[in-house]
Amino acid sequence: MQKVVNISLNGIAYQLEEPGYNQLRSYLERAEARLKDSPDRNEVMADLEQAVGEKCRAVLGPHKTVVSTGEVERIIQEMGPVESADPEAGNANADAAGTASSAPLPPPRKRLFQIREGAMWMGVCNGIAAYLNVDVTWVRIAFILLTIFSSGLWFVLYLVLMFVVPVANTPEDRAAAFGMPFSTEELINRAKKNFEEFGQQYRWRREWRRQQRHWNRQFRHMNEQLRVATAHAGPVMSQSGRVAMGVFAVIAALVSAVLFVALILALFSLVTTHTLFGWTLPYGIPMWLGVVALLMVYGALSAPLKMVRHGGPQANGYHPGWSALHGVMWVGFAALLIWVAYTFVPGVREVLDSLMWAANLTVTTFTETIA
Amino acid sequence: MENISEKLAPIRKGLLEFVILKIVAGDKVYVADMLKLLGPTEFATQEGTLYPLLSKLRREELVDYEWQESDAGPPRKYYKLTPKGRTQLSTLNDYWKDLNRTLADFGN
Repeated sequence: MQKVVNISLNGIAYQLEEPGYNQLRSYLERAEARLKDSPDRNEVMADLEQAVGEKCRAVLGPHKTVVSTGEVERIIQEMGPVESADPEAGNANADAAGTASSAPLPPPRKRLFQIREGAMWMGVCNGIAAYLNVDVTWVRIAFILLTIFSSGLWFVLYLVLMFVVPVANTPEDRAAAFGMPFSTEELINRAKKNFEEFGQQYRWRREWRRQQRHWNRQFRHMNEQLRVATAHAGPVMSQSGRVAMGVFAVIAALVSAVLFVALILALFSLVTTHTLFGWTLPYGIPMWLGVVALLMVYGALSAPLKMVRHGGPQANGYHPGWSALHGVMWVGFAALLIWVAYTFVPGVREVLDSLMWAANLTVTTFTETIA
Repeated sequence: MENISEKLAPIRKGLLEFVILKIVAGDKVYVADMLKLLGPTEFATQEGTLYPLLSKLRREELVDYEWQESDAGPPRKYYKLTPKGRTQLSTLNDYWKDLNRTLADFGN
């Protein structure tokens, strides 16, 4: 079974098998790139589309409505590489006339996208996993490790990717693993555009609120179910389980509070002295980006804690205790990573030490003020 | 033979414009028919080359096209020579004859 893509060539609709569609698309994109300096570009592109359409029509019949990938390949071979006829357009086509028919097409290049479906956050890791054809868990672990071992710098890269890499909105995008023109100018433009959209729509904030509302609803629903279940069918959760959960919740609340204080301190330090407890931002990273990164790190750290306290976001059909366990596992995993980084990376140790120092100072000041 | 064909590829490429002018000098021609005509010759070429070339010739006002309805699909562009193209073609013809004569005279 093959997925079929509907396309229009010069105003007439055709159905192509998906891999064939991708090849045709990259062929036409390459043609357009070749003709970009030619005044006849639009006309030639229309001509080419019509020619492709005609060749497609030739292979279709009353009982054959889809152009197969092999047929598309053959059509592209027949069309031959597109070259500008103007010598001043300046591409190295000198040998093309003689050898065009035998020249094989360059292998199509894959295309990097952000894939929101099944994403932990923005889908950058997801996109990279799809691009590299590996499981997304490995990419995530690699990202976390790299973030820690680069004392957070790698996270800034994630932010950059978030603005630069296009979002796969349509199935075609998701399928289009081909030929992205990767010029610096386009890169900058796309980053600008994405950033503007990001700012204008507060998309992520809205999304986040929506998600939170969803979680809250689920949580209330689950609580209700749990209450009903306990009332009618006896205890669902063992007594010890409930006690453990309570202990976890208390610990999580404490850690969240500490985290929040640390965040405020860090923000204060960043804004006033442009350093994070004595650690200067890497050269070329503006202060605002540091603030954003800080907020996101806080978000990432506090999310699992919240899960523990509230019994968890996922869990449609799971026991809330399970979600709490999930959250605890995440906290444990993060703690382990931080410990490893603390032991082996001097930079991280410095930051953490100064964090501890700042926390100490706050507590001392606080108690002194009270006393 | 292969070697010589490769060596002279730039010449054939340069001559393609001349050949196209000669083809459209007769009756109005459709691109697919031009390709069929050129296919068995040394000047065999493909849409990818021909369409940009025709657009350039049209921009230089050497050829023009008219739309013609077709029973199999959308209307098609049929190319024909313009008066300016006809002048250009006869200049090219003369030049080609001179070139041939020069080539023939050498080594005699």
